[in-house]
Amino acid sequence: IIFWLCLFLVISLPILLSLRRGQASVSYAQSLVGAPETHLTTLDNGLRVASEETGHATCTVGLWISVGSRYESEKNNGAGFFLEHMAFKGTKKRPQTALEQQVESMGAHLSAYTSREHTAYYMKTLAKDLPKAVELLSEVVQSCSLNEAEIEQQRGVVLRELEEVESNLQDVCLDLLHATAFQGTPLSQSVLGPSKNARTLTRQDLVDYINSHYKATRMVLTAAGGVNHEELVGLAKSHFSGLSFEYEGDAIPLLSPCRFTGSEIRMRDDALPLAHVAIAVEGASAASPDIVPLMVANSIIGSFDLTYGGGKHLSSRLARLAVEEKLCHSFQAFHSSYSDTGLLGIHFVADKHYIEDMMHWSQNAWMNLCTTVTESDVARGKNALKASLVGQLNGTTPICDDIGRHILNYGRRIPLAEWDARIDAVTPKMVRDICSKYIYDKCPAVAAVGPVEQLPDYNRMRSAMYWLSITIILCSLHSIYECIYNFILMHH
Amino acid sequence: MMSIAARTGALSPYLRATQHTTKSLLSPGTKELVPVAAPGGIRHAHTDIKIPDFSDYRRPEVVDPNKSSQDSSEGRRVFSYLVTGATTVVGIYAAKTVVSQFVSSMSASADVLALSKIEIKLSDIPEGKNMTFKWRGKPLFVRHRTEKEISAEQSVNMGELRDPEHDKDRVINPKWVIVLGVCTHLGCVPIANAGDYGGYYCPCHGSHYDASGRIRKGPAPLNLEVPFYEFPDEDSVVVG
Repeated sequence: IIFWLCLFLVISLPILLSLRRGQASVSYAQSLVGAPETHLTTLDNGLRVASEETGHATCTVGLWISVGSRYESEKNNGAGFFLEHMAFKGTKKRPQTALEQQVESMGAHLSAYTSREHTAYYMKTLAKDLPKAVELLSEVVQSCSLNEAEIEQQRGVVLRELEEVESNLQDVCLDLLHATAFQGTPLSQSVLGPSKNARTLTRQDLVDYINSHYKATRMVLTAAGGVNHEELVGLAKSHFSGLSFEYEGDAIPLLSPCRFTGSEIRMRDDALPLAHVAIAVEGASAASPDIVPLMVANSIIGSFDLTYGGGKHLSSRLARLAVEEKLCHSFQAFHSSYSDTGLLGIHFVADKHYIEDMMHWSQNAWMNLCTTVTESDVARGKNALKASLVGQLNGTTPICDDIGRHILNYGRRIPLAEWDARIDAVTPKMVRDICSKYIYDKCPAVAAVGPVEQLPDYNRMRSAMYWLSITIILCSLHSIYECIYNFILMHH
Repeated sequence: MMSIAARTGALSPYLRATQHTTKSLLSPGTKELVPVAAPGGIRHAHTDIKIPDFSDYRRPEVVDPNKSSQDSSEGRRVFSYLVTGATTVVGIYAAKTVVSQFVSSMSASADVLALSKIEIKLSDIPEGKNMTFKWRGKPLFVRHRTEKEISAEQSVNMGELRDPEHDKDRVINPKWVIVLGVCTHLGCVPIANAGDYGGYYCPCHGSHYDASGRIRKGPAPLNLEVPFYEFPDEDSVVVG
């Protein structure tokens, strides 16, 4: 026994004592530089093809389209969402069962999502099945059958989903935030659309939607995984050459700017256990140079929920307060950016007796960002941001999604090394200046759902968007008063 | 600031509930779906809530929904703060006026102030004579001095005086001496044209004052008090 013990120690001791024990096999800097390049090709009809060869045995391939609820009108709001439901219900070549059977037999996942400015149809499959996947995707997008009977059936599904989403209070809160912040503009519309439209959208509406928006120049065929770019381009040429790139009557839908309105909406329901509150100011567009400092600023505030184990040692000051004062169940700082505007805000879930305090400290955190953020705060935020950017790309699907969204937003893929350089360039002064530009003394938009009686009046929340030293007020008032008094006295 | 509070109850006539009962898609034979009752009752679809159009209340720069509100944001704020600041200043001045009006109402009223001054016709007083008037509850001596008295008083040596004061510091017009007729010892009224110095003599304890009202002999420590007076014209004096 002693012999085996010694043998075991002899073998494992060097490993245990090795200086590299516990270290990653590749350093951060290496991972930035070693990331594979994203290839981008544009076909004759304007369709862009992008891919990243990561060497995985699987791949994700999909079509990212520059269309969403922002492109819809009041009459057809929800068409994109409805169409997403109809997409996998059969094409002109294959009925639904045949399509499903094809996908299942490959062991693939066929998925889609619709957001305010983007729509995506994508498939996760083995790398060797790429040709089949592209063929199926091209059918789904270009020749969806839009069967009348199926449309009627899907109406019920959409209505049922509308009901279900009401219990997801975070989504409800953020939808209401958009509705009030961008009131009167297409960005206020929810992706789901109103129930009236779910009942009245016709096949023609969906066909019109496809014809107006599914144009080659607004689409990107993206793949990530064990894919070869040349092969992908070849497949694109053979399946997507027929994609239309001309608009009927040259009516190219242009996105007009969306006006932001400082406002609030309160959906009070005292029967709900927790209140969801979101406060936001107008943020930066996706392509704005201010995006990176704002992302760093959000990392400084960070996020929190009750499952976090750090307790009063959490790095974010607001999180420490949340723990020590039991302010909230969770909060997150978010930045939704669109092509020409954005929403920079904080969303939190709190018990009904702590809403006022949580709002006060959230706005306090914002004011700190604008005035007193320190070198150590910024360093911490930068590290957290870098870690999250790298950590998010942990699979072929997130990478594919990243590529698709970047191409639609920026026209190219922004590599990790570039993000890293731009994050490194952020200084505390930059964070203060840019946060002041977007946050300080601006009218916020507020949305609240649940038992929200304690949420302060809008004027009080508006006043908390700036800090005023009492002495400055008194001195300036006093001097103004003296001048006026003397002036009036002269005339008497 | 625009605010809309939407309670599920209040908006029920305007919201259509998504209580669309449909056949179950999951499997045949299941009962008709009952709408999901969220805690607190039936919840209407939040996407059906329509934010009202507040165009009537918007400032002109933000009426157009297709124009970003950022450009006009500073201008609108500056305007609001200017109006607030101006109103504050005017308000403070108005408040100060009101407060000082109320506070000054507690000071002496007009009739009391009227009593505080006395106008005396000088031609009524012959030369060398002293006349006594009641002023502010005290006797006021107005003396028409002769040339001899004037020169006598003006040449008095300061060193002799208990309370040194030159005559010209006690009179505006040397012909007229106006002093309070209250002895500075214990407050009796001196008698005019009496005493060893040709001025006043207090009978209570024997204080002698001269024709300028200065103490010369006796227990009084100070000269007779000279009140504020002015000559609005040749023939009259206003004291007080």
